[in-house]
Amino acid sequence: MEPTQIAGEMSPPYKMVRKYFIASIAGFVTLTLLVFINAGSIQGFYFQPRLLGLTHIATLGWITMIIFGAMFQLVPVVLQVKLFSVKLAEAQFWIFLIGLTGMVISFFQFDTYLLAVFASLVSIAMLIFIFNMTASMTKVKEWNITGTYIAAALVYLFFTVVAGIMMAINLYHPYFKTNHLEYLKLHAHLAFAGWVSMVITGVSYKLIPMFSLSHGFSLKPAKWAFAFINAGLILLIIEYHLPERTIMLPVGALFIAAGNLVFFYQVYLIMKNRVRKNLDVGLTYTMLSFGIMIIVTLLGLFLVLENLLKPDYFTKLALIYGYLILFGYFSLIIVGQMYKIVPFLVWFHKFSAKVGLEPVPSLKDMYNEKVARFEFIMMNTAIAGTVAAIAYANKDLMYTFTGLMFLSSLLFLKNMSSIFLTKGAKNAN
Amino acid sequence: MPTEAEVMNTLRYVIDPEIGLNIVDLGLVYDIIIEEAMITITMTLTTPGCPMHSSITGWVENQVKALEPGYEVFVNLVWEPRWTPDMMSDEARQMLGQ
Repeated sequence: MEPTQIAGEMSPPYKMVRKYFIASIAGFVTLTLLVFINAGSIQGFYFQPRLLGLTHIATLGWITMIIFGAMFQLVPVVLQVKLFSVKLAEAQFWIFLIGLTGMVISFFQFDTYLLAVFASLVSIAMLIFIFNMTASMTKVKEWNITGTYIAAALVYLFFTVVAGIMMAINLYHPYFKTNHLEYLKLHAHLAFAGWVSMVITGVSYKLIPMFSLSHGFSLKPAKWAFAFINAGLILLIIEYHLPERTIMLPVGALFIAAGNLVFFYQVYLIMKNRVRKNLDVGLTYTMLSFGIMIIVTLLGLFLVLENLLKPDYFTKLALIYGYLILFGYFSLIIVGQMYKIVPFLVWFHKFSAKVGLEPVPSLKDMYNEKVARFEFIMMNTAIAGTVAAIAYANKDLMYTFTGLMFLSSLLFLKNMSSIFLTKGAKNAN
Repeated sequence: MPTEAEVMNTLRYVIDPEIGLNIVDLGLVYDIIIEEAMITITMTLTTPGCPMHSSITGWVENQVKALEPGYEVFVNLVWEPRWTPDMMSDEARQMLGQ
């Protein structure tokens, strides 16, 4: 049986979800501004307080914040199940916001005591999220591939949190028997490939066909991708708990890379079968993001050869790798999908009941597509320029292109604000 | 008594806001049965679990009630046969860039 229950009844309150969306947009603008201000620090080895602070604004304030909001909205719709507790989702938001703000400040000042305290708050918020989602998902009647990916992502979020809090305590009071910097690689890859990418991949199977009107494609590659990525992540978890590097590292990396490539093939199958041939700005962002995913996947494989590379060369490539994951792969897909999801969310809340009774705007009337297209060009020029700036260790280039990135985030802010502030009568067509 | 064509025409005012096309040209309306005091519309949606689910069926009901206030309107949402792009009108196809 196909689901016949209505999604509207399953959806959580708009105001709760909106909070997460607005906070993440603010997080993105703050991130690009602080990256610009600190552009001079974006060079050299990645383990330095400012870079760690900036990275956590990106991973927590921007990326994880929007995933939280999107999960609260999408899981009930996609899996036809009610959110276990709206109150917990509300409480989680404030604990998370306070925790991550304190955590970023602690990184910038490198106060390891406060870092451990605020990292604990962030962890509590994450555990509340994991509990809330798990309690909701245990009631799912009809499981699907998206649900399987989300369930796995929750497991890796848990591991990411555990590894993160262990490292925060280790910085304050060293107790690790293994190398802290090696463990950081595990923490980062659990977050990137296990948590964020797993959510992106799983949700893509539902949203991309929906937005591109694609039908009649096989979902077999999605299952293979799941198996490969998980096998790779499990190998990495074992590997980084061993005192020395073994063959498991390249094998694990190869599995994850294979999974990403199979996922890319799955997206190709979906897009090949699409009815809407014209790519709107949201899907254009999304497709470019997947292209960059392939680049970082290959770069990641290359970086496994760390010991064979010159230290200076490795350091630069590692920085480019991290930058492209956060700003290329993750940020582009989030920005793109927000152009699809945010208008819909706001429209649904404000105008759904008014259809037929008074003129209502269409989704595209809610923001300026030309501005979004211009922002797309600016943002991608900024990404390419920043990569060049890192490669040539050129500070002028770095300030120029991180500045351009900040300006593009303001255009994004402008469009998102106009969506949230859309009024029926004025914009009606 | 309204005709099927009249009901079908009024349903052209129900637009899928994401796609920007009406539900008739999208091929979502499968059948219209007009009985003594009841109009039954059998229809589907492009994607099961579509977030527009409740809204679209509600709009269909309102639209038909506005045309024929004396009739009860029942929207029978079905998933078989499953919607495919072949069900769209040529006009809809053109608008989607095919």
